[in-house]
Amino acid sequence: MNQIVSVGTSHHVAPIEFRERLAFSEEQLIEFLQHLRESDQVQEAVILSTCNRVEIYAVANAVRNADAAAKILVEFLSRYHQIDMESLKRWSYVHHNLETIRHLFRVTSSLDSMVVGESQILGQIKSAYDFSRSSGGTGTVLNRLFTKAFSVGKRIRSETTITTGAVSISYAAVELAKKIFNTLEGKTVAIIGAGEMSELTAKHLVANGVSNVIVANRTYERAVKVAQKFNGIPLAYSSDLDFLIDVDIVISSTNAPDYLIKRKPLADIMRKRKHRYMFLIDIAVPRDVEPDVSKLDSAFLYNIDDLEAVIASNLKDRQQEAVRAEQIVSEEAKRFYDQLQIFEVNPTIKALHQQFRQIADSELQACFYKATLSDQQEVAVASMTQAIVKKLLHHPMENLRCAVNDGDADHGQYVQALRELFALDVSDEHTE
Amino acid sequence: MINFLFLVTLLIYLAASIFQTLSLAIGNRSGAAVIRPTIERVAFWSTSIGFAFLTLFIVLWWLQQGHFPMTHWTDSTAFFAWAITLIYLVIVRLTHLSTLGSFVMPVAFIAILISYSFATHTAALPEPLQNYWLLAHTTLIFLAYAAFIAAFGFGLMYLITERKIRQKTDALLDNLLPSLGISDELGYRCTILGVILLTMGVIVGSLWTQYIRDVPWRWLDAKVISTLVTWFIYVVQIGFRQFWGWHGRRAAYAAILGFVAVLCTYVGVGLFLDSMHTYR
Repeated sequence: MNQIVSVGTSHHVAPIEFRERLAFSEEQLIEFLQHLRESDQVQEAVILSTCNRVEIYAVANAVRNADAAAKILVEFLSRYHQIDMESLKRWSYVHHNLETIRHLFRVTSSLDSMVVGESQILGQIKSAYDFSRSSGGTGTVLNRLFTKAFSVGKRIRSETTITTGAVSISYAAVELAKKIFNTLEGKTVAIIGAGEMSELTAKHLVANGVSNVIVANRTYERAVKVAQKFNGIPLAYSSDLDFLIDVDIVISSTNAPDYLIKRKPLADIMRKRKHRYMFLIDIAVPRDVEPDVSKLDSAFLYNIDDLEAVIASNLKDRQQEAVRAEQIVSEEAKRFYDQLQIFEVNPTIKALHQQFRQIADSELQACFYKATLSDQQEVAVASMTQAIVKKLLHHPMENLRCAVNDGDADHGQYVQALRELFALDVSDEHTE
Repeated sequence: MINFLFLVTLLIYLAASIFQTLSLAIGNRSGAAVIRPTIERVAFWSTSIGFAFLTLFIVLWWLQQGHFPMTHWTDSTAFFAWAITLIYLVIVRLTHLSTLGSFVMPVAFIAILISYSFATHTAALPEPLQNYWLLAHTTLIFLAYAAFIAAFGFGLMYLITERKIRQKTDALLDNLLPSLGISDELGYRCTILGVILLTMGVIVGSLWTQYIRDVPWRWLDAKVISTLVTWFIYVVQIGFRQFWGWHGRRAAYAAILGFVAVLCTYVGVGLFLDSMHTYR
């Protein structure tokens, strides 16, 4: 019987020091997949190696049970990366059959990710799968499993809202800007002061269509330095805020102890810019923008706490949606597992039927040859034989199907026994 | 038969209003992503089918009356609902913003409900008024009203979105309402469209007076004055926007004020003041 197992580690269970020891480079991937194939112990394998997780999904069919299959994998890993079994056991997890399927579906749906709902993982799994498939590392089982995993991932992304709502400061700023302005095309952003966060936010704004960047700094040289990154205009500002007249989005992160942008002067500027909307993002602590600014009709002010609150609320929503997503994953995993097992016993059932029917047919032929029967009698004998075959097979087949449907692990042994007792020649390559 | 058709139309409009509002009301609640597409589809199709039925009703009613039906509240409110739906469907067609329906379809439904409750009533139209002037005049005015109601809907959408953004925490959650920029701009365009249509309607109406014989006409008619006030409110609003940048929240409030003025002109004058234009 095919055993689907996975062995892996992720940010949930292991620190970076361990994950990096387990990680695979591209050459290592090729090498390791080849090792596995040549061993003849593992028939199919896909290796996922990202910065947050290293996981091997494998199918083995010449083993007694899933435990044995997992053991083979763990030993391979331990040998290849030269990690002692102790730490491997401590920092990694092993899944069997249904659990493997569920785990893969969870990972693909980004339910297992550091940030639930992130979109990268689906692409990472796709390329891991493509990589293994193109080097001949996958077969019928993993092909079916991964294809299903991608469709489950898609289903969850469309039927739940785990992917919506920004969960980082810079994305929250972009989404807010889009909610205020119709489009960011042609808009101007000003970065006042410097800092990683403000540059990152500006970068995302530019990626979403903002066309002009002004970098204002107390020291002109620093302004020039930052402006170069965005093809922007450097500016040495004093207390004069007139440059804001043509600015739609302000990102402020200076070290100034007092408010830099106050309501009164900004009101004048707003009048000069005919009250076009201005979105002010104040990520400085202490704050750069006077809170009263938000009372101006066309000015929208968000400080660092406001943005954090937006993110927190989005994360909470994602968590709630994740519960629903988990249900979908469980249902889909169970359904897939059942299908897979029926799919696995089908060749045996088919072979058994075929064998019985062949025996009956050849015996019939022999009988018709020896005895002279009328047409009517021939028909009667033939249909009696058919009925005997059918009735003989009825209970065994019924019980086998029941064992599969009940999720009874014994059905593997049944199949094995049938094959051996009846000398069935069932090829391992299943036909779709 | 025609009454039954009208009842069906009324029920479809009720369904349309409910589904339009529902699609907004369920927001981004858990599970909304699954059912919203269905609700939106039902809302759109009930609106479209309701519009088709209403059009058929008006045509049949017209044939039965023998002249363009515009004498009784029945005629007028049905036509009002028709104009609102037409403008709404045009906006959806151009912008794909079906959210507006949550605000304007209930108005259309109430109009039809009023119309239906008078449904068997008719009033004779004086012979001299039976001509294409009436058709042109009333169609222009009602389309103008419908455009103003769309502007009112965009104004409400603007205010809700702005409130959410200023309240900060759940600002990003709800992606159903358009951005402030969109609501503002579309509301403004609807206002301009309304003003153009209203101006044309008034001009056609005043030209018409030159041709009316045998019916007493006076210029200081309550409806005429009220309409001019409404017109003035919208024109001033456009001017302020052009010259002093009065957009956003102020424009939204102005759209609501304009909506009240439209209601006063349409319903108020019709019901409480003596006017040449009174519906019977």
